[in-house]
Amino acid sequence: MSAAIALQLHDVSKHFGRPAVEHLDLTIHRGELYALLGPNGAGKTTTLRMVAGLLAPDTGRIDVMGIDLASQPAAAKQTMAYLPDDPMLYDKLKPMEYLEFVAGLWGVSATDAAPRATELLDWLDLSKHAHELTEGFSRGMKQKLALAGALIHAPQLLILDEPLTGLDAAAARQVKDLLLSHVEAGGTVILTTHILEVAERMAQRIGIIQHGRLIAEGTLDELRARTDGGTLEDVFLQLTSPA
Amino acid sequence: MRGTPGSAIWLLQHETRMFWFNNGRRRKQRSWLAPFLVLLWLCLHGLAFFLLRNMPETPESVLPFVAMAATLLLVVLATFMFSSGLKGSVDSLFERGDVDLLLSSPLPARSIFTVRLGAVTLGVALVYLALAAPVVNAGLFIGHPEWLAVYAVILAWAAIWCALAMLLTLLLVRVLGARKTRVVAQVISAIAGALLFLLAQAQNLAPSGGPDALQAMIADHIKPGSVFAPDSVLWWAGRAFTGSAVHLLGLACTAIVLFLVTVHFTHGFFVRGLQQAVSTVRARERPAAVAQGRFGQSLLQVVLRKEWRLIARDPHLLSQVLLQLLYLLPLGFLVLRSEEHAAPGVAAGLTMLAASLATSLTWIIVAAEDAPDLLLASPATMRVVRRAKVAAAVIPILALVAIPLAWAVAHDAATGLLMCFTVAAATLCSALTGLWQGRPASRNSFQRRAKGNWVATVVDLVGTVGWAATGFLLIRAASPGQSAYDARWAGISLALALLTLLLAWGTRRRAG
Repeated sequence: MSAAIALQLHDVSKHFGRPAVEHLDLTIHRGELYALLGPNGAGKTTTLRMVAGLLAPDTGRIDVMGIDLASQPAAAKQTMAYLPDDPMLYDKLKPMEYLEFVAGLWGVSATDAAPRATELLDWLDLSKHAHELTEGFSRGMKQKLALAGALIHAPQLLILDEPLTGLDAAAARQVKDLLLSHVEAGGTVILTTHILEVAERMAQRIGIIQHGRLIAEGTLDELRARTDGGTLEDVFLQLTSPA
Repeated sequence: MRGTPGSAIWLLQHETRMFWFNNGRRRKQRSWLAPFLVLLWLCLHGLAFFLLRNMPETPESVLPFVAMAATLLLVVLATFMFSSGLKGSVDSLFERGDVDLLLSSPLPARSIFTVRLGAVTLGVALVYLALAAPVVNAGLFIGHPEWLAVYAVILAWAAIWCALAMLLTLLLVRVLGARKTRVVAQVISAIAGALLFLLAQAQNLAPSGGPDALQAMIADHIKPGSVFAPDSVLWWAGRAFTGSAVHLLGLACTAIVLFLVTVHFTHGFFVRGLQQAVSTVRARERPAAVAQGRFGQSLLQVVLRKEWRLIARDPHLLSQVLLQLLYLLPLGFLVLRSEEHAAPGVAAGLTMLAASLATSLTWIIVAAEDAPDLLLASPATMRVVRRAKVAAAVIPILALVAIPLAWAVAHDAATGLLMCFTVAAATLCSALTGLWQGRPASRNSFQRRAKGNWVATVVDLVGTVGWAATGFLLIRAASPGQSAYDARWAGISLALALLTLLLAWGTRRRAG
């Protein structure tokens, strides 16, 4: 596998009684922001959960930063972070305590974690809420704290499932800026979103998945060339609407 | 009868529908239960009629004593009704999620609050009405129509205690805010429920004298002219229970007045104050210092700190766990009063207490993990995480029982060490059973944890009893002059405890 590849899925399938993901091949390069789009139930979340190591594929192989996820899960997970649409938080912990726990799970040293935690909380405007339990946080604050947790160990690959759901305009802007700076610094991001404008503006490449299969992939221009053109919304609807 | 949309009757129908929906949804997988309960209820009618058909007339002279007994029964019911009323008030204000919808509609706030309080009252009274029905209805057939007063008394009694519960809930909202009210009301509700048990054990807690002394004390207090004399005003509610029209009227008026006063003085706060309390995050004084984390700790340390923080900051859950201590206190007094069996009994009691606490804490820490995906997505070794979780459950319990165990060792080294062995073993076995058998659940379902996983519950119970019996029998066997009989049975109970542990391991759930 090339050193330039961050994530590679080879012929990955997953069934839950019915097929959720079928023979999926996907390659995402380092320093790339990749948007995985699809209608509800298309298999986006299942794909991301398999990449994050939460679900084992029935068949196929997943390599993260050149590491086989099945045979070396700890080494592969060390390089990535997963943020689901429902933030994985503890209601009775304060933001810094949450970051302390996540840093402990990833084995981040105190010299790296302490300044990074402070920096992330400042950046995401959560420092003033540092003494509050997260149970009182709004949806947007929770999402931002979960993102800070995902970034505490400076992952090379960031896997985000609907990261902008429930965020107000200012918070969404903060998160988008953070993702772009992560990519500019050489990090890789794969995200799913139903907000197509976000994918249109931010993603370098876009994959469209339907019924568990990748039906189209490429830059926005490449996707436009395959259809009658227009906005990403037009392209998406043309590709996913029944023939 | 269908109420006009927007009327109080229409709203009451909505509440009734919600009541059946909520209760029916919980039991959707047990569709046989409702017909079975109805059949059982009808059979109870037959049984009550059969038992009461030849009941002799109650002499006039006995009626005051019947009223006293009825009053005591009503006091018992009051603790249950107040406890349920608090739960119902909290649920109807915070959990239902339709308060905003109703208050944003053109319905008068007073009607909404009246119907909601009425629904809480009816919900609380319903179970006692159903329980009383077989006897009261049988009374109709055997010539005691005055027994119908029981229905009115139950309704009035429920209205009084539910109104008081609602007043307390709203007072707590005003003083503490919505979030803390939920917790405090749930804790008070749990303690109110446990209070009855402790009162029932009052005789065991009394220093000495036994049942005869208690009887003499009661006789002294109820003699004519005393505060508790049979003609005292204290037995008013009980007289209403026996069918006295004047007393029944008085009780009903008290209930209606209290209900209306509650509605009149609190419906405004219900609308303004509660909405504000629910939607506002209360601003507290913040320390000037910036929060500093403790980074760079081992995986074991971070898991321990996280688990203990979560438990310590959940007073509702903590109170439910510690209530188990409260329930075992009277047993401890019972044991200590018997000199001969003190040490084996204390060993059995402590073993059961420690194992029971371990079961609860392990459930909270392992099964009710809030973010299992975070743990799975991390590179942390799950074996270490799971060991840390067991340690997080076991360490506080061993710290709690360390003092009585140290006392036991100091008192008699051999007995104390045997006690240490069974307590530690039972604690660890319960924690391991919870680890191997735990199913993912929400912390909110703590009180229902046994229902969803009865195999684990039975295995854990048998193991706990096995260890308690081992402790009891081993210490008895070690006492001077005992035969090998106890030692043999101790071996059998030890084998049983180990076998259940093996069974828990053999049928364990796959990690992750």
